[in-house]
Amino acid sequence: MRLKLFAAALALASALTGAYAQTFPQDEAKLYEAAKAEGKLVWYESAPLEAMKAVAAEFEKKYPGVKVEVLRIVGVAQYQRFLQEVQAKRHSVDVLHISDYPSMMDLIEQGHIADWKVPLHDRIPEMFRMKQHAYANYTTDNAIIYNVNKVSPEEVKILASSWKGVLDPRFKGRFAVSTMKCGACYASLHMFLDPKFSKEFGPDFLKKVAEQKPAVYGEVLVGLDRVIAGEHDFTFWTWEGIGVTHVQRGAPIRWVRPSPTPEFGNSWQAVSRYAPRPNAARLFQNWSMSVEGADALQVKYGSRTTLSGIEDKRSVVKESWYEPIKEVYPVDVKRWERDFSKDLDLWAKTLREHGR
Amino acid sequence: MATSTTARSPLAIAAWAALALAVALIVVVPLIYTFDAAFYKETKIGLSSERSMQAIINVYTSWEYLETLWEAIRLALIVTAFSLVVGVLMAMLVCRTDIPFKGTLETLIIMPLFLSPFTGLIAWIALGSEKTGFLNVAWRAVAGTLIDQPPALANIWTYGGVVWVMTLFFAPFAYLFTAGSLRTVDSSLEEAARVSGATAWQTLARITLPVSAPAVFAAGLLIFILSAELYTIPGIIGTTAGFTTMPWKIYLDSTQFPVHRAHAAASGTILLLVTIAGVWMQRRVSRVSERYVTVSGKGFRGSPLRLGRSGTIIALALIGFYVLCADILPFGALLISSFMKFSSGVITPEVLTLDQYRDVLRIENVRTAVVNTIMLGLMSGAICLLAGLAISYAEIRAPGPATRSLAFIGVLPVAVPGLVFGIGLLWTYLQTPLYGSIWILLLAYVAKFLPYGIMVSHSGVLQIHQDLESSARMSGAGPIQALMKITIPLIKPSLIAVFFFVMLMSIKELSASILLYSDRSQVLSVLTWHYMDAGNYQFAAAIGVVQTALMLLLVIGTRLVFNVGLERALGKGGA
Repeated sequence: MRLKLFAAALALASALTGAYAQTFPQDEAKLYEAAKAEGKLVWYESAPLEAMKAVAAEFEKKYPGVKVEVLRIVGVAQYQRFLQEVQAKRHSVDVLHISDYPSMMDLIEQGHIADWKVPLHDRIPEMFRMKQHAYANYTTDNAIIYNVNKVSPEEVKILASSWKGVLDPRFKGRFAVSTMKCGACYASLHMFLDPKFSKEFGPDFLKKVAEQKPAVYGEVLVGLDRVIAGEHDFTFWTWEGIGVTHVQRGAPIRWVRPSPTPEFGNSWQAVSRYAPRPNAARLFQNWSMSVEGADALQVKYGSRTTLSGIEDKRSVVKESWYEPIKEVYPVDVKRWERDFSKDLDLWAKTLREHGR
Repeated sequence: MATSTTARSPLAIAAWAALALAVALIVVVPLIYTFDAAFYKETKIGLSSERSMQAIINVYTSWEYLETLWEAIRLALIVTAFSLVVGVLMAMLVCRTDIPFKGTLETLIIMPLFLSPFTGLIAWIALGSEKTGFLNVAWRAVAGTLIDQPPALANIWTYGGVVWVMTLFFAPFAYLFTAGSLRTVDSSLEEAARVSGATAWQTLARITLPVSAPAVFAAGLLIFILSAELYTIPGIIGTTAGFTTMPWKIYLDSTQFPVHRAHAAASGTILLLVTIAGVWMQRRVSRVSERYVTVSGKGFRGSPLRLGRSGTIIALALIGFYVLCADILPFGALLISSFMKFSSGVITPEVLTLDQYRDVLRIENVRTAVVNTIMLGLMSGAICLLAGLAISYAEIRAPGPATRSLAFIGVLPVAVPGLVFGIGLLWTYLQTPLYGSIWILLLAYVAKFLPYGIMVSHSGVLQIHQDLESSARMSGAGPIQALMKITIPLIKPSLIAVFFFVMLMSIKELSASILLYSDRSQVLSVLTWHYMDAGNYQFAAAIGVVQTALMLLLVIGTRLVFNVGLERALGKGGA
């Protein structure tokens, strides 16, 4: 692999010259002083821009003198751009926030991510961290988002009771699905195709879903937008975080999360090994995974933090219809990485053959 | 054709050589990087160091890819046919008949140029969704009083929906690139037909159209190339309608895990081959068509065809229907969407808000993006004008393998999918001090839109007969003086056409910008995409409105400065 060879050479050269072997203050005050001297940091992120800018503004409020430049680069594009910058030795980013587990794991394995353990490391469940390098700062959990004007309370109960509720004949032709290849688009499929659920779900369940003649969208959020508009009655499936974002704007939607609910870390944040402003980067990473950072993320973005022992301060949880997850389905990272593409291709094929 | 001494002076040769070097750096190097990627083995997230022909073999031989190529070509052929019918009919009516309100009609016909495909799509999703589209809701409200459960008037989420939106988007191109030729048709031919008893409509169909056939064919080829490359509209609607085109497959291969970068580049080579064939045919055809539009000192004037009262009503109704569908409905839907909190088929006071526009004024990124977008639009327009003119002038006045090759190479990026070309541009400029600055976007725009500069100015220069410059030289003018005093003033409409056109295309450009922008080089198209990608279509619509208003203001401003209308300039220059 061209990039891997380059990375190995770079790592060797770094070891020989002592570059990147710098130590950084663990003490917050000292780290802040050093960060202030650097003045700013560049954050490549993959979530909605305004929400992340609002989160960054909270950091700037707490640490005056350290500005955050937020650049939204989504999915694999961020991985590619970062690697190209590394290869060209044009280091511009300090903190990465990539929305794919395999991409971040690959960067760690190639030695491009700094080993930086945040102070609250132990309060982050293992499934939301990669060694001492990267952390998922919010959870992603799949949900059936429905339009309150289109789905009756009785129908909501059917959908909430089980993932199989969607097979009820009354839902034929009333919902939207997506064939997009993204983590949140895959998580439920990953569960349906889990060998331990082969009797309950499996390919046969997918076929039955397709036979319900859903509307198929290539972009998952276009499908959700059509549910909000009332074109379809619900999505099978999207994720809670995006639902919160739309509820904050007043959209007439709610959601249910049948059990078990796939939950995973979709976006992973880490400090670049070549960060031009390494102290500011570490200060930001520490803050992101702190109680204050978690609160900012919950309030400004609407996604639930991965940090344990934190009160869920999102306004949506106070709504009478809101129900927390009853049983989590933890994803199998290895199977995820191996079957991601194959499973999504099977889903698209099933919809093509049985859904039209 | 005699060779101009202007074009062969040492200064001109040196200038041409410098230009050739610049084109090589700006166009050829990124193209090499772009297509080199097709010859590597892939990993799950990129390319390995190992060379491989696997991606090329897969793309050129597997049904999975060939089917997407066929879908792209089939769609492009249908869209081209419909766009030509609509655009050429309007061009004939405006340029060859006595239809009233010509100036206003021309402006309205080219209005869709001010809408990017992306924002146009937002508008048509809001308008034409089967149950909740504004059109269908309004239709049901009216028709429901007469019949029980009236069917939907339109459904955008179908193959026909894709063709409809793309036709509305590309018809102005057909209009612009045939109007110039139609204006110069010798009216004595039409008069002879009328004297022989033909009606105005028969004359248009049997005389005017056949005489302009080469220009129509050239316009058709350009529309074919552009529509075969478009990925947003066929991609987003096509998945629901049940088909995939090659540009959308390239988008998926480039952006979704696992990435198939070599396959995306290999698919790009197929589209490049389609382009090369198209450009070659277009240039051959335009050479023929330009014989009809030579400015040689002898002009022909004639009276326009008389439509009569009923003919005028029919013609105005046809153009009016187009204006309703291509301008009023989508611009209206975009404007309404920009004032909504969320998507809804029913507009009530509860769903309306001014928040989007408050945010547009509040958000620093928007202000930066507006300034950058204006600056880049103006600069890329000016550069493509000068470079395109110089390349075309050298090709026509000093024809030879070198000048022809440069003109050919400069045109190639026209149909290399922006996403694939963007990666090549990123690789080219990553290792330069330009990376991360706004200038990298300028170079990308010049590389992408230089083809329009060359194609449009090519027609303009060809129309000016060599004799005019020679006469000036014989009267004692120097070569530069002859160029400045004779040629440039005569092709001013073509030059302004290039400037306008590239400026508009630059303002709308997304696929390369999304890969190259940085915090300091935000542009409006990227901001629109960010909000649309995150599901905030209403804020994306608000930025789309700002973008459209900006284009209109720039066009009006340029019009005032140069005293030439866009529609007229492009109509003259685009033949």
